[in-house]
Amino acid sequence: MEKKSAFNIHPMDQFIIDPILTGESLEWYSFTNQALWMLISLVSISFVFIFGSRKHQLVPGRLQSIAELLYFFIRDMIIDIAGQEGLRYFPYIFTLFILILFGNVLGLLPYSFTYTSHIAVTGFLALSVFIAVTIIGFVKNGLGFLSLFWISSAPLALRPILLIIEVISYFVRPVSHSIRLAGNMMAGHAVIKVFAGFAGALGLGAIAPIFAITAVYGLEMLVVVIQAYVFTILTCVYLNDALHPGH
Amino acid sequence: MASTSDNSAVGMPQLDFSTFPNQIFWLVVFCVVLFAIVKFFIIPRMEDIFANRRKIIDGNIAKAEEIRLRVSEIEKLIEEELQKAKSQCDEIMNTSGKNIKEQMALALEDSKIATTQLINEAEGRLKELRDGSEAAIEKISEELASEIINNISKGK
Repeated sequence: MEKKSAFNIHPMDQFIIDPILTGESLEWYSFTNQALWMLISLVSISFVFIFGSRKHQLVPGRLQSIAELLYFFIRDMIIDIAGQEGLRYFPYIFTLFILILFGNVLGLLPYSFTYTSHIAVTGFLALSVFIAVTIIGFVKNGLGFLSLFWISSAPLALRPILLIIEVISYFVRPVSHSIRLAGNMMAGHAVIKVFAGFAGALGLGAIAPIFAITAVYGLEMLVVVIQAYVFTILTCVYLNDALHPGH
Repeated sequence: MASTSDNSAVGMPQLDFSTFPNQIFWLVVFCVVLFAIVKFFIIPRMEDIFANRRKIIDGNIAKAEEIRLRVSEIEKLIEEELQKAKSQCDEIMNTSGKNIKEQMALALEDSKIATTQLINEAEGRLKELRDGSEAAIEKISEELASEIINNISKGK
């Protein structure tokens, strides 16, 4: 199936799940390159948030500033979007945010593995958010949660049509939520890899693809942070729908 | 679909469903551990740092408020002191003015008395002089009259 081309570019190789300890076979428990990078992300998060702020400084240093910035950024975001009641879910949303943010950012390191580029990972996260939000909606509002789909501000004749649209869009949420993140991560990394392949094949002429890689890399730095932010803010919006379905 | 043992991917490794159980297993482990770290280490620490900072800022604000109150108290005291000094000054000016007036009145009285005395004296002397001159005139006129009579009687 695979064709050996002169350029020898394999942009998708970086996404292969590789059982790095057990060798060939991939069981459900095998320790893979993906699990390794989750572990590295865990260590990095602990470094920034626990080691970085170990002194409890009144005037924060660099690492503590980063930790505080991220922490209060998400906190304020939840209050802005979902109100004070949303703060109850802050630990979950904050976990989600740093999980995605560190996965995205660490994925930009050469030879690293981007676990957020896998639809299994983002799909699992998005589905968890979807299920959690739906449960919260019904627990908090009972059947009143269904008023989310019955747009009372629209003319009565339009409401059944809007109902169908709203229900469809509600169930499409986890799909768009997860594919947006995984797609962005995968596309950026694949593009960088393609240009890197050109650079390897062109010899002295590699200056052009290297320039392109630099540009795309700069763009990716932006994209990884923005995508983590988008995933989190959408989670907050869904949470707000669950807490205040009437609005 | 790509087999995991291949050296290069065919199609998208993301859509290789045989890797899903493994990915989700590690993701769940990762999520649980990360959530525990967030819940038991990161949030208490951040809240502690924030509460500490809040406390110190509030303490500073309270201290500043206290100092402000004391400053306004001192200002009031200064104002009072100033008012007192002003009234004292007014009083001094009033009493000294009165004193001066009294003394002036006294001096005026003295000079009046002295003047009337002088006038009286002068009048007395004037009267004396006038009385004296009247007596002299009478004497002279008597002498003159007797002489005139003499002369007339001689001339006859």
